[in-house]
Amino acid sequence: MRGLILAPEKIVDALELLLKPGDRVVLEGDNQKQADFLSRSLVQVDPKKLQDLHLIISSISRPEHLTLFELGIAKKVDFSFAGPQSLRLAQLLEDGKIEIGAIHTYVELYARLLIDLIPNVVLVCAEQADEEGNLYTGPNTEDTPVITEAAAFHDGIVIAQVNEITGKLPRVDIPGSWVDVVVQADRPFALEPLFTRDPRQIDDLQILMGMMVIRGIYERHGVQSLNHGIGFDTAAIELLLPTYGESLGLKGKICQHWALNPHPTLIPAIESGWVESVHCFGSEVGMDEYVAARPDVFFTGGDGRLRSNRVLCQLAGQYAIDAFIGSTLQMDADANSSTVTKGRLAGFGGAPNMGHDPHGRRHSSPAWLNLVTSPSPLARGRKLVVQIVETFRSGNSPAFVETLDAVAVGQKAGMPLAPVMIYGDDVSHVVTEEGIAYLYKAEGQAERRRALAAVAGVSPIGLKAKPEETAALRKRGIVAYPEDIGVERLQANRSLLAARSMEDLVAWSGGLYTPPPRFRSW
Amino acid sequence: MRDPILTREYLKRRSFIELSARDRAKCLFDSGTGLELAGPFDRIESPWLAMQDVTPEADDGCIVMRGTIGGQQAVVIAFAGAFQGGAIGEVSGAKLTAALDLARADNEKGIRTNAVLLLETGGVRLQEANLGLAAVAEIISSIIALRRHAPVISLTAGTVGCFGGMSLAAGVASYVVMTPEGRLGLNGPEVIEEESGVEEFDASDRSLIWSVFGGRQRYDQGLADALVDDDADQIAKTVRDLIAQGVPPVHRSEQIDLYRSRITALDNARQWNPEELHFRASQNKEENR
Repeated sequence: MRGLILAPEKIVDALELLLKPGDRVVLEGDNQKQADFLSRSLVQVDPKKLQDLHLIISSISRPEHLTLFELGIAKKVDFSFAGPQSLRLAQLLEDGKIEIGAIHTYVELYARLLIDLIPNVVLVCAEQADEEGNLYTGPNTEDTPVITEAAAFHDGIVIAQVNEITGKLPRVDIPGSWVDVVVQADRPFALEPLFTRDPRQIDDLQILMGMMVIRGIYERHGVQSLNHGIGFDTAAIELLLPTYGESLGLKGKICQHWALNPHPTLIPAIESGWVESVHCFGSEVGMDEYVAARPDVFFTGGDGRLRSNRVLCQLAGQYAIDAFIGSTLQMDADANSSTVTKGRLAGFGGAPNMGHDPHGRRHSSPAWLNLVTSPSPLARGRKLVVQIVETFRSGNSPAFVETLDAVAVGQKAGMPLAPVMIYGDDVSHVVTEEGIAYLYKAEGQAERRRALAAVAGVSPIGLKAKPEETAALRKRGIVAYPEDIGVERLQANRSLLAARSMEDLVAWSGGLYTPPPRFRSW
Repeated sequence: MRDPILTREYLKRRSFIELSARDRAKCLFDSGTGLELAGPFDRIESPWLAMQDVTPEADDGCIVMRGTIGGQQAVVIAFAGAFQGGAIGEVSGAKLTAALDLARADNEKGIRTNAVLLLETGGVRLQEANLGLAAVAEIISSIIALRRHAPVISLTAGTVGCFGGMSLAAGVASYVVMTPEGRLGLNGPEVIEEESGVEEFDASDRSLIWSVFGGRQRYDQGLADALVDDDADQIAKTVRDLIAQGVPPVHRSEQIDLYRSRITALDNARQWNPEELHFRASQNKEENR
């Protein structure tokens, strides 16, 4: 070693030396960036020397994350999200090769790093380091600060992989005094474009749902600050703001402040002057130049680049926004939802953080107050937690089901809790292609169920709806069909989208957005 | 032709790709002259699909329209990529062949009639395999019979692309027009990967796909005659210009020696970079000589 700098070819030896069997190790696998040089090196350690590690990974994304369990190097995992590896994770669990501590929300997992999952060693990644060990993360700061802090101030070891070691950093994201070992990776860290949605794939039903959200929720309640999930339906909303939203005169009235990754589909709304601010969890591949050119909207450093921070953005999305809107794979009659389905253990990421009504909130906003239903002088407002879901998924399986698959999956895996993503009592609105159920307005469990059934189409839940009850719910404003909120079904087509292709997004950005190759069709 | 797409100006265009096959065909005609023949209300649909649990469509995914383009008689035949990936079956094949043959008959009577093929097709429809193959053979001979009298223009805008047997039809056309989003090739990416392995061709690598099959590459190779933006007005103008240009002095598929020499020169023991196969610059020099 030269100071803090370790020669790359020594990394496997170093890991065998610095890690002990049974250690709690955070392997930085974020939603977007991955400490893949370190994970690829960890797989090469001798399982006779190092075994039974307890891994903490916010996003299980890379194949070697799970290979560690097959080889016996690791035994237990605590995580938040496992989208890309969800099938293999379910299989390993069934084979008894992996022990799951718990599936967390992001904030919850970071919180435990400071309480009962304090790490012995953390393996993190950054773009650049200097000789002192100061780290520059670039636009994808993501989870690095909180992971590093948990180890650096509690006698843990911090090992950082960097793309390059330079004399002068553009800015310092992690101070060198927090870092113990720096190693230059064989190639730049892996980065996934998870938040890019090709407008070409957005269909008319998603556009109809988007129009309903804009009129029946954003306009109705005056939603000014929000988070969007990564579905095509929310991408449709983003692309409808400068067209449909503009035609309704809503610019400046809704959707000004966002807790959101730099979604390429938000470019037209930003360019049309809809968006005042965006704080980001991470960056998005191809968006760096565009973001750097919009420092009035995004949080950028002295170097001009985005500064993201997942834990802070999650907290912002939990406490400071009017509305969260996301999708799910399954929902039951009580609006409980989960993305865990048979044979697929996907985890939840940040959805439950933002997708609940935080009872610790003490400031008000017009939308938050608009959801008050009680006349009591002590009544408090409520966050809008909106689930947007088509009544049937691809392959003709209903999204509305009697019992979530998560219940059986949880039992089979011996989990103490069924892996529910968002609990029904947190959900204020459900939007389907049929209409909107304003669940927060329903009186009592039975009426809540009737309201949900009224928008659940011909799914097993929807078939329980009775026309006369639905008519009464519509009259009372607990259920709205498109015509009840001034949305014309026939207007719902792709010509309403501000951008209908990746090419259009590039054009909107003035050429600053560079889509990754997999999204280019030219 | 822009390079690359950068400006807001691009957003003002009317996207051709966004149009349905019927609207694509219609927008090429002089305003109000496009009249559909053997349309969906004539209910000429495939007898084979229902037997295989595939819902047929009343136009069999093939739209035939007649009218004038730049004042000249023309027939446009459009394949709907949205139905069965634009794949060709017995009925759609017969509609295309009949349209081409009627155009030839008109030409022989002294009424010059041009043809435009909008090819968004994966080739032969697997459910009608042999009938589809036979249709491709008939289509090719009908194109060759017609192109002596009037230009036959093949247009592939995307997003399906033109593959399989129908790429041969494009190959015998008088002119090939593409957008950068369009793709043209005999074996599609998935087929190559399945036959030769992912090392030979990674069908999930979109930049590889477009560098081999994409409109820009085909234009630079000299296998497409025009490269146009995804802009309905520009595309319609390009078609009008080519019709006005008339039958080319020599068709691409007649230049057997040229293409044979190019194939002979290819050392297939090594991996070629698509950019090494750009012939247009040298071809233009030859033409200027």
